[in-house]
Amino acid sequence: MSSDTLTLKVEFGGGLELLFSNKRIRDVTIPAFVPGDSSVPSPESESIQPTSLKQADVTFLLHYLREKHLTDRPELFMEKDTVRPGILVLINDTDWELEGEGDYVLKDKDEIVLISTLHGG
Amino acid sequence: MSSCGNPDSSEADALMPRRLKYGRSRDCVRCREKPGNIVIRHAVYCRDCFSPLVTLKFRKALQPSINASAGTSKRPRLKADGNLLMAFSGGLGSSLLLDIVHRIYFSNESVLNENEEPVGGKNHPRNADVWPSATVCYVEVCNAFPGMRDSTEELRTVVSQYPCFEYVATRIEDAFDRSWWLRVGGLPSFSQLSVDIGNPTSCDLSIISALFTPAERSPTDCLLAYLSSLPTQTAISTAIQTFIRILTLYTARSRGASHLLLGTSLTSLSISLISSISQGGGYTTREELQEEWTQSGIGSTEIAPTIRIVRPLRDVTMKECAAYARWNNITVVGKQRVPATTQGIHSLTKDFIVGLEKDYPSTVSTIARTCAKLAPKDAPKGSCLLCQRPMQHDIQEWKNRISIRSFGEAKLASDLHTPPNPHNNMPPPPLSSQSIDQTLSLTPHLCYSCHTTLTSRSSRGLKSTGSLPVPLPVWVSPPLLDSARVVNPDEDRGEVFQNRQPMRDAIAEYLLES
Ligand SMILES: [Zn+2]
Ligand SMILES: [Zn+2]
Repeated sequence: MSSDTLTLKVEFGGGLELLFSNKRIRDVTIPAFVPGDSSVPSPESESIQPTSLKQADVTFLLHYLREKHLTDRPELFMEKDTVRPGILVLINDTDWELEGEGDYVLKDKDEIVLISTLHGG
Repeated sequence: MSSCGNPDSSEADALMPRRLKYGRSRDCVRCREKPGNIVIRHAVYCRDCFSPLVTLKFRKALQPSINASAGTSKRPRLKADGNLLMAFSGGLGSSLLLDIVHRIYFSNESVLNENEEPVGGKNHPRNADVWPSATVCYVEVCNAFPGMRDSTEELRTVVSQYPCFEYVATRIEDAFDRSWWLRVGGLPSFSQLSVDIGNPTSCDLSIISALFTPAERSPTDCLLAYLSSLPTQTAISTAIQTFIRILTLYTARSRGASHLLLGTSLTSLSISLISSISQGGGYTTREELQEEWTQSGIGSTEIAPTIRIVRPLRDVTMKECAAYARWNNITVVGKQRVPATTQGIHSLTKDFIVGLEKDYPSTVSTIARTCAKLAPKDAPKGSCLLCQRPMQHDIQEWKNRISIRSFGEAKLASDLHTPPNPHNNMPPPPLSSQSIDQTLSLTPHLCYSCHTTLTSRSSRGLKSTGSLPVPLPVWVSPPLLDSARVVNPDEDRGEVFQNRQPMRDAIAEYLLES
């Protein structure tokens, strides 16, 4: 595993997987350093200026999942730069609210769980 | 977002500064040892302390309602006077409901004390015999909307994890199925009534026909006719909720249930409360929280058993439900999105409450707690024939006073009175009989909320097709026909016949006799 990339285990639950080709668990490999505005670089784009980079965080992962893996209804996944209210995010089985939410800097092999709570009683 | 949708959240942020999600420490507030795993209303819990907290809230919400009477003992032995029925949708809340009920009341686990520790020794009484039997009821709604898949068998597989639970699947179109109605022990009625909803000249709901035979229109056709007659998306979504509720209640009654448990979480409860109040359901706010249901029937002297409807997860937020399900390996297959519910008041309320809960988690429980303090001023006048909830006294008189209409007043006034039944003092007509020989109105038997659901046409124009008879759910007809036999002996009959002829003409093709 190159230190230039991070491999993460991403798991969807509570019906959220329906927006991601109905696949519950997937391994996702992302760059360790990403654009500061969390934009997802396309393969063709020129290499980015080092000054605009940040360490890959959860906010970038959300953008990345939306760009690369979301197949349906992006508005049910994200709102502005974060997850839509009603989606529980766990980082290594801990509420992301205890980990700095989107600012949490990802480490190789982190497990990120996204569960929709919106599917009622 | 539409103009009456969510307030712009950046504006909301400006008004209410975002609070810190939790206090200073990242450690669990309960054991004060382990690092926290979840934040619940600004308090941090570890995984080990979190799950008992959820089941404790569950038991606190449910157990005071189990015994029929409170008794004198401070800690009475839990014993229901009937069976248990749980409403199951495949969604998060009801999946938790099944699992926790199974764990606490239908497995051989010990009775737990306030700290979730086992009480007494091996021979101490178990919770296992609180209810003699448990049924899980699912209402499949796929036939109401195109493009939905049937989840009946998928949910059967989920329920089969719990061998002591019996699975009963009903379908939303059973609301119009007389064979279902008889199966659940409903009073037979010789007619399935239809109502005139599309009449643009009046807010009154005249019964215009009793003449559909099941062979002519399938229950699904009747359901679709009913739904398509409704004026708004909100009305459709409310009608579906009402049908699910009544189908579940009659199923519960047919299983000898004393308790019906719903998987409503604190979050979904707050959504229902606000949504219901905004649709004119303020009078039954208490019933959204907790309710005792006895089958309604005007003039019926039979004493029907009462079913307690309890929401044991009413103090548990959706976030807690999601974390509990994950950390206890509970299968949540998820509820399909019902197309009609993506618009309308309920959905807008949901977006609002869920958004509010994210940043201001305590506010959502305040909604439920505040609503729990509300009580109607007057005693109810029976119950609504459609939703079977308590009905406000003199609702029609009040609605007439506040309504502004430009025409149709005379017609309305005449329709509001039920004319005499020529078969008065005679036994009910036999099956081969023709239509009820009179004009009946559903309006006086509806609560404000149901009447508004059926008639408020704020968001669409008048129908160009004119009035079409809309079939009514099976539980409405018997008590309505019953009521017609006992009221208003001195009404002017001539006017009734004048009213009736044009209606007969309009529905002639549906009539069995000419
Ligand atoms: Zn703890
Ligand atoms: Zn009603």
